[in-house]
Amino acid sequence: MADVILQVEKLSTGYGEVQILWEVSIQAKRGQLTTIIGSNGSGKTTLLRAITGIIPAWSGRIIFNGEDITNVPAYKRADMGLIMVPEGRMLFPEMTVYENLEMGAYNKRARQKIKESLEFVLHLFPRLKERLNQKAGTMSGGEQQMVALGRGLMGCPELLILDEPSLGLAPKLVLDVFDVVKKLREEGITMLLVEQNVHLSLMLTDWAYVMAEGRVVMEGSGEELEKSDEVRKAYLGI
Amino acid sequence: MDAWVSAILSGVLLGLAYGLAAIGLNLIWGVMKVINLSHGAFIALGMFAAYFVFHSFGISPFVSVILILALGVVVGMLAYFVALHRVISAPELSTLLSTYSLSLIIIGLGTFVFTTNPRAIDVGLGSIKLFGAYIPASKVLTGLYSLIFTAALYVFLFKTWTGKAIRAVSMNMTAAQFMGVNTTFILSLSFGIGIALAMVAGALIASVFPFTILSGGIYELKSFVICVLGGLGSPLGALAGGLLLGLLENVLTLKMPVGYVPFIEFLILVVILLVKPSGLLGKE
Ligand SMILES: Nc1ncnc2c1ncn2[C@@H]1O[C@H](COP(=O)(O)OP(=O)(O)OP(=O)(O)O)[C@@H](O)[C@H]1O
Ligand SMILES: [Mg+2]
Repeated sequence: MADVILQVEKLSTGYGEVQILWEVSIQAKRGQLTTIIGSNGSGKTTLLRAITGIIPAWSGRIIFNGEDITNVPAYKRADMGLIMVPEGRMLFPEMTVYENLEMGAYNKRARQKIKESLEFVLHLFPRLKERLNQKAGTMSGGEQQMVALGRGLMGCPELLILDEPSLGLAPKLVLDVFDVVKKLREEGITMLLVEQNVHLSLMLTDWAYVMAEGRVVMEGSGEELEKSDEVRKAYLGI
Repeated sequence: MDAWVSAILSGVLLGLAYGLAAIGLNLIWGVMKVINLSHGAFIALGMFAAYFVFHSFGISPFVSVILILALGVVVGMLAYFVALHRVISAPELSTLLSTYSLSLIIIGLGTFVFTTNPRAIDVGLGSIKLFGAYIPASKVLTGLYSLIFTAALYVFLFKTWTGKAIRAVSMNMTAAQFMGVNTTFILSLSFGIGIALAMVAGALIASVFPFTILSGGIYELKSFVICVLGGLGSPLGALAGGLLLGLLENVLTLKMPVGYVPFIEFLILVVILLVKPSGLLGKE
């Protein structure tokens, strides 16, 4: 059995007075792809924000690589290898593609390996090579997603968290993104993926969680969930 | 003819110093989304720091300015934690009030300690003949130093990890956090650098013009006009805006009394805000 890299235990949190997550427990195992699906507003992004430390946990624990990081500030979590590719890409629009990738390697561990990482990223996304000096804000949605993924990979992730990487992309580009996720999985990169493309992600994933109204309502292997009546009805429209 | 050459040269040289102060204001806005109403007070503080060092130790402002830069960073970072850290994510009114109170405190204490008597620093470097006009050497050095400090800031922002982190925070603070940037440190450092630039500009200008503890207000107004000319959030625009304002005020005073300058500056501010709120040279 693979070892657990991320363990979220009974996590509750929210914004201001409004509670969004109710005792959510999930785990991600090293070398595996773990997926979270759930309808809009079910709290997936909120869960990822708590995991990365952008918002504080109200109760519960987050354990990463055997360490309790519940109260560790966000920037130190990146130093530990907890790397986020956020929803909506969040590139630095006035920076060039190269500078965006460089910022990806800002954390302490990644700085030493910046050359190798860049080589890996440009090998994965050869199209970025000619675009290195272009301002990121002027790129198309698909290109921006490549930069966002590349920037995440530059961080030497122990766990790469992807929040809806295919959101807003044309169908062909959605397939490209899943292709990349597949490749990264084959490279042995541990990932936690949040996706709306339930069918595509369940086909790839090792383990999946279903969230609804701020709770985990179901979990299982990709195959199991794809066969389940509830998932088919709610998310696959069958 | 000489009067024109001299006015244009003065305009460029002083414009660079005004630009430097404005870049500080601009940086604070760009990174923190804070309008720093204490900018003028810190400009005046820089003037008095230069004055004090000059009269106590006989050290020229063109040497002590390095010290004042370092002092400004430290003071600015402290001021951030005292006055801004707790209200940084509150609505803009809170940070406005907070920097305004900072200004009141500095000017209040400054008036008590230094009184409002005018002071001057006479570095005694004489004049330099440039294009047929005699320009005070202190003015030439002021322009030159401002240019060097601006270039140094540019190199810092574009070539160092910390500088890049400052730019990243100004573009997307959450994303910068995801990259491992300690945003609290970057915010305080940005305020520190902004304040340091204000104090350095003050120290340089003090070698050219007499001043009181209240003089900062005039230069703060210039900084705002420059930012509006150059577009908030663009350091090079601020430099261009500084040149434009420096030229304007020096050429205009050939034809009209100096006392009209603040009025004209204020007019420029209002007209541009009405016509093109993103700044004359700014983007949409
Ligand atoms: N910054 C915020 N302040 C207040 N409420 C928020 C904030 N962000 C999200 N919410 C609320 O929290 C709930 C969960 O939102 P969240 O973004 O986590 O959902 P999600 O599962 O990621 O949805 P989507 O699939 O649309 O991205 C929603 O009801 C949303 O309105
Ligand atoms: Mg979301």
